[in-house]
Amino acid sequence: MVCLQLSNRQSGYISPVIDLAKYALIGTLVVDVKEKGWVMIVEQIGASTIATVTETGQFARFIWRSAKSSVSSVFRGKTWPLVFTQMLIIGVKSVPVIMVTGAFVGMTLAFQAYDQLAGMGLGEHIGILINLSVVSELGPVLSAVMLSGRVGGALTAELGTMHVTEQIDAISSMGTDPVRYLVAPRILACLLLTPVLIVYADLMGSFGGYAISVWFFKINSQAYWQFTAYGVTLWDVMVGLTKGFFFGAAIAAISCYKGFNCKQGAQGVGQACTEAFVVSFIAILALDFAAAIISKSLYSIFYPIRSLI
Amino acid sequence: MAEIDKDSGIIVTKDLTKVFNGKAVLEKLSIAIEKGKTTVIIGPSGCGKTVFIKHLIALLRPTAGEIFFKGQRIDNLHERDLGKIRMQMGFLFQGGALFDSATVYENILFPVRQHTNISDRRQLDEIVKSKLAVVGLDGYQSYYPANLSGGQKKRVALARAIALNPEVVFYDEPTTGLDPVRSDVINELILKLKKELGITSIAVTHDMTSAYKISDRIVMLHKGKILADGDAEYIKNHPNDTVRQFILGQVSEADVAALRVSGTKFASQFNPKDFEE
Repeated sequence: MVCLQLSNRQSGYISPVIDLAKYALIGTLVVDVKEKGWVMIVEQIGASTIATVTETGQFARFIWRSAKSSVSSVFRGKTWPLVFTQMLIIGVKSVPVIMVTGAFVGMTLAFQAYDQLAGMGLGEHIGILINLSVVSELGPVLSAVMLSGRVGGALTAELGTMHVTEQIDAISSMGTDPVRYLVAPRILACLLLTPVLIVYADLMGSFGGYAISVWFFKINSQAYWQFTAYGVTLWDVMVGLTKGFFFGAAIAAISCYKGFNCKQGAQGVGQACTEAFVVSFIAILALDFAAAIISKSLYSIFYPIRSLI
Repeated sequence: MAEIDKDSGIIVTKDLTKVFNGKAVLEKLSIAIEKGKTTVIIGPSGCGKTVFIKHLIALLRPTAGEIFFKGQRIDNLHERDLGKIRMQMGFLFQGGALFDSATVYENILFPVRQHTNISDRRQLDEIVKSKLAVVGLDGYQSYYPANLSGGQKKRVALARAIALNPEVVFYDEPTTGLDPVRSDVINELILKLKKELGITSIAVTHDMTSAYKISDRIVMLHKGKILADGDAEYIKNHPNDTVRQFILGQVSEADVAALRVSGTKFASQFNPKDFEE
């Protein structure tokens, strides 16, 4: 119901935003026409289309190569130490920052939602809202965004610098496949540990929400947990954690690709990092949307719809 | 010139062509490199020398043409199968390309760990010690590349390139950026490797002192083609103007004229003291 209200309220705001976007687009086009003429613009559109298609193809081939070597790395004992090193860097060292993210999400949700719910006499239901949001959406997505900044940026910068200083060529020249040596361990570490990190975010999110609701707003602790247990099912938790595998793989693959293909020079590395973050961020949101559609339709096959209030 | 076929030398290229963004960097380059000799590729900066030797180790793939190593075609091999070929080659990169997150010891052991199953600590120590001794840097095992000078980095990189006892070593501008004494250390090393280990060397350089000293054969590339090919004496007395200008380090008349046109007097000529009160 809360969600419904929100979406009703939002629809009013959307049309001016779209208008604004239209004007901005037309504005840039007009400036472009004045400066370069129509032919140049058509040329530019063509060139950027070709560039996009080329890049997509390259990325797809890179993903395919990395996926193959990641799978074969699992069965090669030699690469495990590399995976463990990356797990330390990517996973273990991200735990504190992920926990802080989770805690703030839970706390903020509790604070924002309480007065509306309490006004309707539904204060004790707040546990459902907080924990469901944290477990199925905010925990996974915000952890992934955090990771794409913390881990993705570092991966791109590291591999980009290695590319610029010919270290990746050096690995090839010594007869080792750089994708197998550099990319596969990073993808495996990211893929396997993102769901685990999401568990930490979920845990701290629930705790943060609990702390604000029960300690600050004085909601009955037993009622809080009873409603939560009724509203949040194992399915919701599992959907959230499953997303973690996809988010982790996407972050690592995109960051490694950008690092491997970065342009020469300090500016090239910087640009690659920016692009890696932006593309991972969009990929996370798109994957999350896809996951929402798939999980909802799967759920409706197996279970009847649940009313949460 | 005699017809080049795939067994004419240890490395053979046939009609090697590389096009970058519609511009041909190498044009139908055919060359056979002899085993056990040092071949030096010279040419002005940007003439495709580095691109050329990167093709020989298949770091770059040709747009057209074929490359053979010991009679086997390598330019169309899958990355997976290239591993075995590349184990017989070493490549010294221009900046050394040492892994800066690892010590000298780990750097040299990288190819050894990747391609052998030696795990005995003492044996590994021995390999690193002997390779570093070749380049005269034994005792630097625990250093990180950041703590080495430019010349030392190149020598460690050379030690890493020969870690698997390759038959062919490629040198990308081995003396660039080093002072004359350090350059000569590298030259002596290249000669020593050839004499003691019988390594076939292919070096790319525009340092003529170094080229004369180490080469058995000098090939000059110009605009993606072979302009001159012969031993040091032949190149020194080459009749072609472009070759002479390059080896003597002279600017051509046309370039001088271009510099003269613009002049050094500017319309807005001023001195710092013009701005004083």
